[in-house]
Formats: sequence, structure tokens, C-alpha cells
Amino acid sequence: MEYGLRLTDPAVVPPDPREAFPPQWRGMLPDGRAVALYFGTEFCEDRLPDADAALRCCELAREHDLEPTLATPLVSPQGLERIDRLLAAIVEGGHHPAVVFNDWGVLELVRARQPTLPLRAGRLVNRSLRDPRGYRDAPSGAATHDGARYARVRSLLRDLGVAALETDADLEGGFLGDGDGDARPLGRALHLPFTYAASGRGCPLKAALYPEGGGFAKAFADPCPAPCHGKPLPVHRPDTALPHWRAGNTLFYELPRDAAHSWLSRTDRIVVHEAPAP
Amino acid sequence: MKILAPLRCSDEVLPLSDAGAGEFYCGIAPPGWDEEFGSAAVHRRSSRSAGVPDLADLRRIVDRAGGRPVFATLNAPSYPSAAIPRLVEFGRALVEDEGVAALIVAELELVLAFAEAGLASRVHLSSLATCRNPGAAAFFRGLGIARVILPRHVTLAEIEATAIPGLEWEAFLMNDGCTFEEGTCSTTHAFTPYCIDDRVGETQNRLDERYAFWRWTLDNCGSQTSRGFTLGPCGLCALPRLAAIGIASLKVVGREAPLARKVASVRLAAHALEVAGGGGSREAIRDAVVALRGAPQLCEGAHLCYYPDVWADRLPAQRARPSAGGFRRIPIADRS
Repeated sequence: MEYGLRLTDPAVVPPDPREAFPPQWRGMLPDGRAVALYFGTEFCEDRLPDADAALRCCELAREHDLEPTLATPLVSPQGLERIDRLLAAIVEGGHHPAVVFNDWGVLELVRARQPTLPLRAGRLVNRSLRDPRGYRDAPSGAATHDGARYARVRSLLRDLGVAALETDADLEGGFLGDGDGDARPLGRALHLPFTYAASGRGCPLKAALYPEGGGFAKAFADPCPAPCHGKPLPVHRPDTALPHWRAGNTLFYELPRDAAHSWLSRTDRIVVHEAPAP
Repeated sequence: MKILAPLRCSDEVLPLSDAGAGEFYCGIAPPGWDEEFGSAAVHRRSSRSAGVPDLADLRRIVDRAGGRPVFATLNAPSYPSAAIPRLVEFGRALVEDEGVAALIVAELELVLAFAEAGLASRVHLSSLATCRNPGAAAFFRGLGIARVILPRHVTLAEIEATAIPGLEWEAFLMNDGCTFEEGTCSTTHAFTPYCIDDRVGETQNRLDERYAFWRWTLDNCGSQTSRGFTLGPCGLCALPRLAAIGIASLKVVGREAPLARKVASVRLAAHALEVAGGGGSREAIRDAVVALRGAPQLCEGAHLCYYPDVWADRLPAQRARPSAGGFRRIPIADRS
């Protein structure tokens, strides 16, 4: 198993990637070394780093012999242009990051403008059910693995030059496939321990920056200074016992460990999230 | 621009046509679906509460629509692998034998399967596919689909930039908002809507009240006016902008809603479209809507707007940030 690191502070790289997990997770995870340092954002274009911050992350990755891996979210037209400029600056700075795309426009952009950068399909490409309330009826949370699911999508991704698939554990199973008998199987990465439940543009933390009557839909296009940076907010829900957090515009929950376990045999990389972050 | 109305059965076609509907959409499950695939919803709604009862009634719908296009939803976010060939076969029968004009599809695997079957030109991409920029639009255009349904949470400026040539474009017009982006909400209403119980954090504060108010407007304010109109999300004042962009279809939401609500919504939309067609400004449209519907207060604050940027010059601006040193992080407890 290899590990990708999504750290709260990318300058503090643990010697064993499992140290970035909560203690109760460490014992169930296989040995392996970190190979990639993730930065950027999967859920909110306002949290895309500027060029300086991105270059710092790339430098840190280089220092630790890790592949810099830029996560990108669904984006507006302006966000797409911002990613174009960001990638140009990173490449001009002498780096060659992998790009995790969650938006088909970003995929097209990278293929057209930075075709040598490795591409990874992000976890929003998988639209399978992750409802945390689904685990109450299936305590083991072991989704049935049907490797035929999404076979056409995987084939398309291979044809488009994508190197790997990333996903959360979901309740339907099968997204990562079985290699599909291909000579160039897609890499398979599992994000742990925080699964995203729901995300959107109507961010309450952003709304707090506006006077009464503002924010939410009235502010979709406004740039946000990302007051969500820092600690995610614990959220209590009456309908599930799984721990929840609000991280800006996205709700995450801690996946039941048994559910994660059932996915490990079909995974080549674990992307460790030290904290839930959009 | 045509008003796209939701349907649940053939009895609804004529009243909605009379109210101004120019297109229809409905959900229908393949015969035997429940026995084979259990509770996996084929069109994101319960077949009992929102679906057309059977193919015979679908045929009556197409017949009564009198040439107005009828679209069928096969728009679950994901399906079991065994369902894909079944849905392709069913979708082919709908468009080739039953007179359905196009299929509304969300899952990329199913879009690709329809493309393999030579049916891409009969596919409308669901809002769940979250096509939000011109690059994504080009990607989907490359698959050969006919129409893109824009997500709810886009601005008019974003629509202008995204609506590239070579595709038809459909935009949300009325009713039933979503707290989260539909395509990135990985939960199911089968457990009740996940957003209903959402709170900002563990501690209730003023921000929770504002968040709850927003969600209440998205949920049609839980009510309708004394004149029978829904107090839900609405994009009517944006009609001139949507027309200028070249939007072809204006979606009225709510397959499962009572017919009276559907008719009232389509009637209101048709009235606004008439005002817009006559060169009416955003103010003229708003005044016409309020005169027919009532509830002016919700329009004054742009609280119901699907596209509030049509009122951009009147919207509350972000509070001034502290100067040059960067943004000061405000503790949650103080953010009210």
C-alpha cells in the first residue's frame, strides 16, 4: 500500500503516514510509505491556493521526495481560468504536479494546456451513495463489490490518459473496479477516514461575512476569504451516530472502520486526511 | 423559450398546456423494475408518488401533448451495473416506440451507454451532472448529447460563460430549491432530506437562524399564498437575461406536486414570460409576478431568487475586511 498525505500543515510530514490518522485507525491500516503530498481543495474553488502557496507545497513535496498533487474542485468559469493560471505558474516554477480533477472542465483544461501532468479522477467523479444514515441498517457497512459498475467511465478515463481513480468508500461498491483486465490499469485510491456527505455553494460560514439578508445564493459568485481555514466545526446530528464536521461548504463524517476495511483489498493508495477539509 | 412542466399522469397534460407549458417531463420505471432492483429509484423519486403509472398512460401523455415534446427522467445519480443494459433497452423503446422526445440522464455511465447505443442525441444531461463551466460543457458536447440542464446554483454570468454553442440549454425557473448542490449531495431523500437537520455547528447561534431561513425559502417557505401560488425559488425576473443567453427551456420543478401547484406555477411563469417578451424590465416582471402571486416582501429582499445576481446592484455586499494584513478570522460565536 502507498499513501498520499493531506495534512493540516504540509510542512509537518510524519515519518509513518499512519500517524496522520486518529489513533484508533492506525492498527487496521497496512504498512506503506507516503508517495504523494496533496494540497489544494476538492470542494470549494475559493480555497484554491495562490501561486506562492502552491509553489511552497511543491517545494515541500520535493524535499520529502513526494509527488506534489494538486486537488481541484468543481469550478465556475472563473474558477477554471484560475486553475489555468495556477497550473501555468506551478509548471513555470519547475514543478510537475499530479492534478486531481473533480470537474470535467478541469480534465479538458489540463489535457489541452498541461498535457504532461499526471491526471487523477477525484472522488466527486464517483456519484454513488455515501449517506451516513445508510450505515445504521448495515453495521458492517460492507458494500457489495460489483466491479462491473462504472466500467465505461473507467474505460473513458483510461482513453483520456487519466492515471488513477480516487474515491470515498460508498454504500454501493465497485467504483474502483478490478483492473478491468487492462494492460494499463487505473491506480485506485481511497480517501480516509473522512467521507464527504454533502457539499454546495450556499456556505453558512461565507454567509457570516454578510449582513442580515445577504450571503448564501446572493453570494455564490463573490470571492470568499475562506473563514473555514483552521479547525472544522463538529456537528451533532440526531439521525446518525457517526461523528460529523462542517468544513466550510462541505459536511464530512468519519467512516465506520469496518466499512473502510472492506475496501482496502481493492485499493493501491490511501489518501490520509488529517482533518476534514473542503 | 419554452416552459417545461412536470407531469405525473396524463390527466395533467391539458390543464398544464392550457396554463402555458410548452414541454413536459415525467418519470417512469421500466416494467418489473422493483422486482429486479428493489428500492433503487430509477428516476430519483418514488414511482408511486411521482412516477407515471405505466406505459399506457405515457402513451396518453404523448398523445395529449399534441406535439409538445415529452421527456422521461432516468436520472438517478448511480445505478447497479445490471440496470444499465436494462435502462438502455427501455430508453430506446421510449424514444423509438413511445414518442418520448428525449431522456434526462444524470449518471455518466448511463450517458456513455446511451452513446454506445447510438442514442446520445436523445439525451439531456441532468442538473445532477453539475455542468458549470464551458470546459465541462465542451466535454459533454463531445459525447454527442443534445441538451444540458444547468445546476440550480449558478449565476447568470456563469450561465453566459458556460452556454457554449452546439448544445441546447435548460435552466431552473421555479420551485423546490436545494441546500446543497444536487450533484454533490451524496445522500438520499429516502431517509428524509439530509439538509433538514443540518446545523452550522454544535452550538446554535444567530447564523443558524439565517441558515434556517435560507433553507425555508428553498423549501417553498413551507406554504403557498392565499391565491394558490407556491412561495418557492423563482427565476422569473431573470427571463430577459436568460433569453439573451439563448436558454431554450425553463424548468418548473415538482413532479410529485399536486396539479393545482403545477398549474399555478406554469401560469405565473407564462405571465412573466409574456411581460418579458413584450420588452418588460426586471422591475416590470417582478411587479407583474407580485400582482398575480402576492407576497411582495420575499421579492423585496431577493429571498426567493434562483438568480439573485439579476438584482446584483441591490444585494448586500460582503462586510468590509480589515485592511491589508489579510482577513481576520472571526470566532464562530461572534459571527452574527
